[in-house]
Amino acid sequence: MKGYMGKVLLVDLTTKEIVEQKIEDEIYEKLLSGVGLGAYMLYNNIPKGADPLGPDNMLGFVSGLLTGTGSVMTGRWMAVCKSPITGGWGDANCGGTLSPAIKQCGYDGIFFKGISEKPVYLYVDSTGAELRDAAHVWGKDAVEAEETLGKESTGRKRPAIAVIGQAAEKLSLISGIVNDKGRIAARSGVGAVMGSKRLKAVVLVGSQSVKSDNPEAVKALSKEYSAKVKNANLPGIVKGNLLPIMSSLMSKGKTYSAGDGMMSAPMMKKWGTIFTNTFGMPNGDAPVKNWGGSVVDYNKSYYKNVNPDKIIKREEKKYYCYSCVIGCGGVCDIKDITKGEFTHTHKPEYETVNAFGALLMNKDLDSIFYINEILNRAGMDSISAGNTVAYAIECYENGILTKADTDGLELTWGNADAIVKLIKKMIAREGIGDVLADGVKQAVKRIGRGSDKYAMHAGGQEPGMHDGRMDPMMGLHFSADPTPGRHTIGSDTYYNYMQLWQYVSWAPKVKSRTPKAEQYIASEEGALKSVAGSCYKQLIDGIGGCIFAMITGAQHFRVFDYLNAATGWNKTPDEYMEIGRRMQTLRQMFNIREGIEPVSFKLHDRLAGVPPLKEGPNAGKTLPILDMMKGHWRAFGWDGDTGAPTSETITKLQLDKLIKEVV
Amino acid sequence: MRVKVYPGPFCSADALDEDGFIELQEGATVGDVLKAVKLPLPLKLMGLYMVNYKKAKQDTRLKDGDIISIIGPMAGG
Repeated sequence: MKGYMGKVLLVDLTTKEIVEQKIEDEIYEKLLSGVGLGAYMLYNNIPKGADPLGPDNMLGFVSGLLTGTGSVMTGRWMAVCKSPITGGWGDANCGGTLSPAIKQCGYDGIFFKGISEKPVYLYVDSTGAELRDAAHVWGKDAVEAEETLGKESTGRKRPAIAVIGQAAEKLSLISGIVNDKGRIAARSGVGAVMGSKRLKAVVLVGSQSVKSDNPEAVKALSKEYSAKVKNANLPGIVKGNLLPIMSSLMSKGKTYSAGDGMMSAPMMKKWGTIFTNTFGMPNGDAPVKNWGGSVVDYNKSYYKNVNPDKIIKREEKKYYCYSCVIGCGGVCDIKDITKGEFTHTHKPEYETVNAFGALLMNKDLDSIFYINEILNRAGMDSISAGNTVAYAIECYENGILTKADTDGLELTWGNADAIVKLIKKMIAREGIGDVLADGVKQAVKRIGRGSDKYAMHAGGQEPGMHDGRMDPMMGLHFSADPTPGRHTIGSDTYYNYMQLWQYVSWAPKVKSRTPKAEQYIASEEGALKSVAGSCYKQLIDGIGGCIFAMITGAQHFRVFDYLNAATGWNKTPDEYMEIGRRMQTLRQMFNIREGIEPVSFKLHDRLAGVPPLKEGPNAGKTLPILDMMKGHWRAFGWDGDTGAPTSETITKLQLDKLIKEVV
Repeated sequence: MRVKVYPGPFCSADALDEDGFIELQEGATVGDVLKAVKLPLPLKLMGLYMVNYKKAKQDTRLKDGDIISIIGPMAGG
């Protein structure tokens, strides 16, 4: 076996039994590792209709197939489970140091089922695996718990730790799993599943190496990619105030052409994702005022306060996830902001800044720094939390909620003080916070009164901070992916930069001067592009890849060549894309088995421009979202009306041979 | 000679063929390409472009098969 470890660890938290399971080579060759191996394990081990927060649900921590092989930008791990938010397939991924640690312990994945009677954590080192009492860290936030458990690991090597905070302990459906003191695998409610199992943490101290079929070829690919990234820099005179100007220029064009994704690396190196705080405003990418406003509302007098330069002024050091050569991460000093309560926080991501900035009409950057840290520590998804606060504010502004409902909080747009207090209540599940702690879909059930019109979600999952009215394929993926509301699957912009058509025979080429208006029409060519994006993203999630490498382009981040060098499979790009199609189809089959109607994942009308915005860069724009979803499904080989994979496709992909039961 | 241009979102692609190539006279420079694709002046002055993934200047001479990439910020996470 090359690239993978060939086995997983199975932990039954009810019986305390821990066993290894060998995974046949064929499974890796058909589904890779990461999300693919996760889908194989979960489909075959979770009974249909299992309670997501019950003992039958399975939670997996899965590394990537390329992690540890010497490849760059492949250090992400995947949390997989049945999602308590959507009721279907759930996954989330994160960087940091956990992914290699899973393989260094000798496994491609660690899977938990059952429920422990008392809080426990799993400890794995070279001598084996054991469940340990976690009573002393239950109730602690993720940073405190990681520090405590780290000190208890007596070996010379620092352990990699994944842990839950209070939000997951309290079964918030918008909670995630935290590693490296504040990085979070946030989506799909994976934290709640871990909390339901009373599993506080996974502590890994391994030292096994990962073998490649052709390590020299892997090394050469890494060297080539690293050199390009190293050379891609912004001149020192480029400051944050240039970003909205660039954004305005960008939005004026009526056509687009294939781009070079490597030319996005300089922005990521300088600022990380926060360059989008202002770059995303004039062009309509960044949602405003619960997706009902625009840059006309959150204008320069607002967005100048989230200029990324203001954030990196507080950046004490940059950091790189395992095997990363871009380094978008950073650690910021927040001692003065928090009056000493906290010393540092991870540099807030754009998603967090916008979810607690423009989405709430909040221009108080200090409050966003503070919220960033308390959410990271509690392990609550900032995207979902921000959307949920936006929902609550719009309810309040329109009289659906009053001070009597909000424990006296004046939930008006931009009221930073009230927003901070509300987040604390959501984490603690106090009063109105308890009503909102599970995201917008559950909040609508509790509040009612017609408030669903303010609840922005797709299939129960609150959307990431990129507007489908500006990039229609983003809206399509929000609606058509087995994990809805996800901004990291694909978009027109990603597709233009990924250059898949250079390698994949059926991926449509982006020609120079393609009219932007074509993106707003459901077409067969558009569907092929979105399917290619989905299949490729599955490969990325199978190898442990970072999307910031993915979007630099396939001609730079040479995934197909990397896979051949690591495994020796010598497959063509078309054959690898078929693996991506298989992975995606299996995730969709999981949802179908759970009784989900894929059309129910269609994003909220407001997100599709129904009715269209009256002003701003997205004014008048509407997505033919249902037609786009149907075209996407048909191009996948799924039923265009129902979204269910057809029996012909299941057979062609040999999924009927890989899983126990096709429903 | 023929060079490949990735114009990014700030340029005009009118001078490029549908695959992003442009024919140039021998001795042409990066500045000639930037003029052809109408890179806005501020971005031109800031040097937001590369040739074959290396830093270049406007007077850098091009050769057949070169790749000229112009800044293209892309939001993601």
